[in-house]
Amino acid sequence: MSFDLQLIAESLPMMLMGIGITLKLLVISGILGLLLAICLLLMRISGRWYFNVPAQIYIYVFRGTPILVQIFIVYYGLPQFEAVRDSVFWPILREPTGCAILALSLNTGAYVSEILRGGVLGVDKGVLEAGSALGMSAHQKFIYITAPIATRLALPAYSNDVISLLKSTALASTITIADMTGIARTIVADTYAPYEIFISLAIIYMIFTFGLQKLFGVIERYLSRYTKREG
Amino acid sequence: MSEPGKRPLIQMQNVNKFFGKFQALKNINLEVQKGERIVVCGPSGSGKSTMIRCINRLEEHNEGHIIIDGNELTNKVKDINAVRREVGMVFQSFNLFPHLTIVKNLMLAQQLVRKTSKAEARETAMQYLERVKIPEQANKYPIQLSGGQQQRVAIARALCMKPEIMLFDEPTSALDPEMINEVLEVMVDLAKEGMTMICVTHEMGFARSVADRIIFMDLGEIVEQAPPKEFFDSPKNDRTKKFLSQILSH
Amino acid sequence: MDVLTGWWDDYFWGALVVGKVFLCSLGLMILFGLLGAMAKLSNSHIAHKVAGAYTVVFRGTPEILVILLLYFGSAIILTSIAQVFNPAIKFVDVPPFWAGTIAISIIVGSYATETFRGAFLGVNPGSIEAARALGMSDLQTFIYVRIPEMWRLALPPFGNHMLSLVKDTALISIIGLNETMFVAKQAITVTGKPFTMYIVVGAIYLGFSTLVTLFVMGVEKFGERTTVGAK
Repeated sequence: MSFDLQLIAESLPMMLMGIGITLKLLVISGILGLLLAICLLLMRISGRWYFNVPAQIYIYVFRGTPILVQIFIVYYGLPQFEAVRDSVFWPILREPTGCAILALSLNTGAYVSEILRGGVLGVDKGVLEAGSALGMSAHQKFIYITAPIATRLALPAYSNDVISLLKSTALASTITIADMTGIARTIVADTYAPYEIFISLAIIYMIFTFGLQKLFGVIERYLSRYTKREG
Repeated sequence: MSEPGKRPLIQMQNVNKFFGKFQALKNINLEVQKGERIVVCGPSGSGKSTMIRCINRLEEHNEGHIIIDGNELTNKVKDINAVRREVGMVFQSFNLFPHLTIVKNLMLAQQLVRKTSKAEARETAMQYLERVKIPEQANKYPIQLSGGQQQRVAIARALCMKPEIMLFDEPTSALDPEMINEVLEVMVDLAKEGMTMICVTHEMGFARSVADRIIFMDLGEIVEQAPPKEFFDSPKNDRTKKFLSQILSH
Repeated sequence: MDVLTGWWDDYFWGALVVGKVFLCSLGLMILFGLLGAMAKLSNSHIAHKVAGAYTVVFRGTPEILVILLLYFGSAIILTSIAQVFNPAIKFVDVPPFWAGTIAISIIVGSYATETFRGAFLGVNPGSIEAARALGMSDLQTFIYVRIPEMWRLALPPFGNHMLSLVKDTALISIIGLNETMFVAKQAITVTGKPFTMYIVVGAIYLGFSTLVTLFVMGVEKFGERTTVGAK
């Protein structure tokens, strides 16, 4: 069994063509997921059971089932219903990319909301009391005290989730999307060279992960500037 | 100490507070006049912190009435905010906003609660930072300051809201000994200027020199209250005597 | 719901497969995790580097990729080896069960490495000193002091690793493992109800997740009975 370097050289550019789709899936799902997570968070900390309980159920279901199943339910499952096929969303839901983004967003939203909640719970109660004593309203305390501090606390766990999201985008290849993994699988099917192709692909993902970690490291250092004694 | 005809600034009438089954405050009756300096002392668990935290609604009293400057303290947000505007609080653990610079710490509530302009808020902030003698720390973050400095900032932050009443909840208990004085000095200055204050503290020297009245609490009740000379020299109640003997012996 | 009659049996057997994968991968995951943690905590420079590479590679690579690589790659290796002995053999297959189980054990094991390492480091150094001072041997200290404290610290994140194992099982269906996703695929071709079929899959996985979560909560209580309240 030889290591066909020429094959790698030929395949890399092809796989990298998929990077656009991978990025698209990552960024759009990431942003939509974050928005959803903030909504779920507000529902969870609202103190009202009719917001809290549905949010908890949603999070429980989406964190307790495999992301692949969720992707399949959206892509293969939703077209089962005529209401879906007739709806205004059908152009999006008919396309595998739209389905992948939807499923990934719904999934990451559940995980990130718990991460954000962890950050919120980590804010020092005494500091919030000081805000109350100064006459700040609940809204004002959340925006000016809780949110900035919770964001910093949640960042490490959030960066891990973004990396998970990157890895989950590879599952889009199972519903015919030609992202990097999708292209790789096609090449492997043609060439029977799983080692060269998949290992190179793995290296691409690792570089991507490394880049994300560096990026979050920078953000973390900025947000933590007030936690260090040395000015 | 009540002057006839003058409405007390703080009135607590038959106040009771429970934490579940545990009664933290038993039938508290207290009147504080404008300009009075009150020190509250007592063993831990006596309810002293709970009592002053009821005054600015950080704790909710279950029975009785609390009336601050004519406003009764109820569940209504309007009433609570009206009281909190008049009452400033300084905490044992300072509770400065860690993510804001010192000057921003002092400006935030002014802008949000009193709707002061940014420029005016900053001016007031710098004024009070000068008062507590640390104007040069304005652009630092709380973590870069010593405990004593942080507490002085906390006092300045409360004062920026121009309160009628200042509450101190064991302000020096978390400080290293060498920093206690710098904070007490600020509090003494404040007292001299006629600020109405209620101070929960173990600093008996401060109590003796500054207080108009010392209140001793034990097991949720006000056991005895008297001007300092009377309180220290001739306590009436046995529990008071016991407490004094314990804390003044070293 | 009568579209499901006749399929319950198949789903049941599929669920059993999920259970089998879970149990096998659990043991392997613990093994890999402990080995990795030991390597990282040891004094050997090489062990450090190897374990470091292990965690970086498998935390930065999509799970589906590892599964595909292991499945196709091992088939190639085994076929080559077998052809040495019997040139007539065209293809040696690795059962998807084992390819998949080993793959997910390796992946989650890389996360477990960090968890176990953190837990070992989190053991109170005072307890270790006390054990030494009392004359306990290194092995005795390890068994009676380090491990009891360490597993309690590791438990919450370890619970998450177990949940990851459960959910990653769905990915093994991609290489043909006959578990619930596979059953659903077949059922869909017959009944034409993809949503229903995949929802059942989701429910089965949710059931497994719930069992794992309850189990972890129970173990946590067990762990606390000697350490909490002993003040």
